[in-house]
Amino acid sequence: MSWLARMAELAEVPVFVAFGEGAPADAASVLVKTPGLRVVETPRAAAVLLVVGTIPEALIPPLHRLHDQLPHPRASVLWHSRNELPGATRVEEIATIGAFLRVIHRDLLAGNLKTEPDILPDAPPNEWRGIGPHGQGGKGMMGGTPYGRTMAMTAADLRDGLELDAYTADFGPFLPMLPPGLVLTLTLQGDMIQKVAVAHPPFETQEKRGWVLLNLLGLPALAERMLRATNIGNATLKRLIRLSGAQAAIPEGLGRTHDGSDVRTRFDLLIGTSEPIFNLHVQQTGLDDLLIGLEWHEAMLVLNSFDNASLRAICANTSNPEPGAMAGGMDHGVHAGHMS
Amino acid sequence: MTTLIAIILIFAFSMLFTAALRASGTGPSTYPQKRPILGGSDPETHAWQRFHVRYYTMTLLFVAFEMEMMFMYPWAVVFVEEGPKALAEMGMFLVILSVGIVYGWREGIFRWE
Repeated sequence: MSWLARMAELAEVPVFVAFGEGAPADAASVLVKTPGLRVVETPRAAAVLLVVGTIPEALIPPLHRLHDQLPHPRASVLWHSRNELPGATRVEEIATIGAFLRVIHRDLLAGNLKTEPDILPDAPPNEWRGIGPHGQGGKGMMGGTPYGRTMAMTAADLRDGLELDAYTADFGPFLPMLPPGLVLTLTLQGDMIQKVAVAHPPFETQEKRGWVLLNLLGLPALAERMLRATNIGNATLKRLIRLSGAQAAIPEGLGRTHDGSDVRTRFDLLIGTSEPIFNLHVQQTGLDDLLIGLEWHEAMLVLNSFDNASLRAICANTSNPEPGAMAGGMDHGVHAGHMS
Repeated sequence: MTTLIAIILIFAFSMLFTAALRASGTGPSTYPQKRPILGGSDPETHAWQRFHVRYYTMTLLFVAFEMEMMFMYPWAVVFVEEGPKALAEMGMFLVILSVGIVYGWREGIFRWE
């Protein structure tokens, strides 16, 4: 073992977590409390892919893509999971997860454990082709399919009708700022959401996402403290969150549903600074009502402000446009944004 | 001669450093690794796209303030010699600049979008 590997071993283990169905509700809390681990926001910064719970069959291709995005040397660990992943190690005990991941990381660096090869073939998704003999020309901004992907086509912006490139892509199901399992097909102009469709609803879980909201608001220390807190009624924590001004950072009326609640009121409920004085009614609310017209950071606040059952109901209420319509021309219809 | 030795040493060190970086790397990225990170999803559209930089008016205003500050440093030296006359001149300059800010405010350039 080289001195460089010995020094690297002293660092925290960078772990990217992919949550699946049946993941323990306190998994995020357990990982934060485990010394020597660092949960990272992107697979490119991770050495270990930790799959918590079982990923359904339909979402296995995204899991394989995620696996291949980790840099070498890499390893994957299945925790409370019934999935199969080539080369992955399996662990069930909550108490030993930290020690297990540290051993795997050390063996990876020492060369005792071989890095996992790519699952997917090393080839572009499509051939680089266009009208001309060198793959040039065609529709879109430049034409052709550079790196196997077509160029974005122009569409009118909801704000002023300015025709620039509308970008349509699927986001999720393992994006840290989205609830686990949720796959959204979004059409964006810059960072503003023009169209939304639900490709896969979030997994059922009992996890409370108050700490994610704090993270999104730029308060990672408070988010970590919330995960470490053994009870939600921690008075000091509530006071610190109130003093941080997090509530004032959320625009008033953002993500208002038909029952009158907005992100601010739901944030108070999630972190426990206010008592539940009403029940959330989301029967008539869809994601298209909530997200269209919002910028990315606002949309993430809205999505994480709901409890799991409400968000699943909202996803079920969302009317999905025709697949071809997502990438097509924008209409100048409803600009719900802040439903105030 | 000393300069030449220094240049050669710096060149040799940078070459050595580059070689060490290349040796410690993992080689070129594969196609799966080149994918943009969308949480497991695969984009069908190329990420190269045009979008409107809607905060540009605010950046123009920022540049205007920068220029104002650049004038104020030499003015502070002149002010010691000239006294109230320099103060009046700077006052006029700031008033003209403020008209621009008020105009921008009316046009809504402080609205973030």
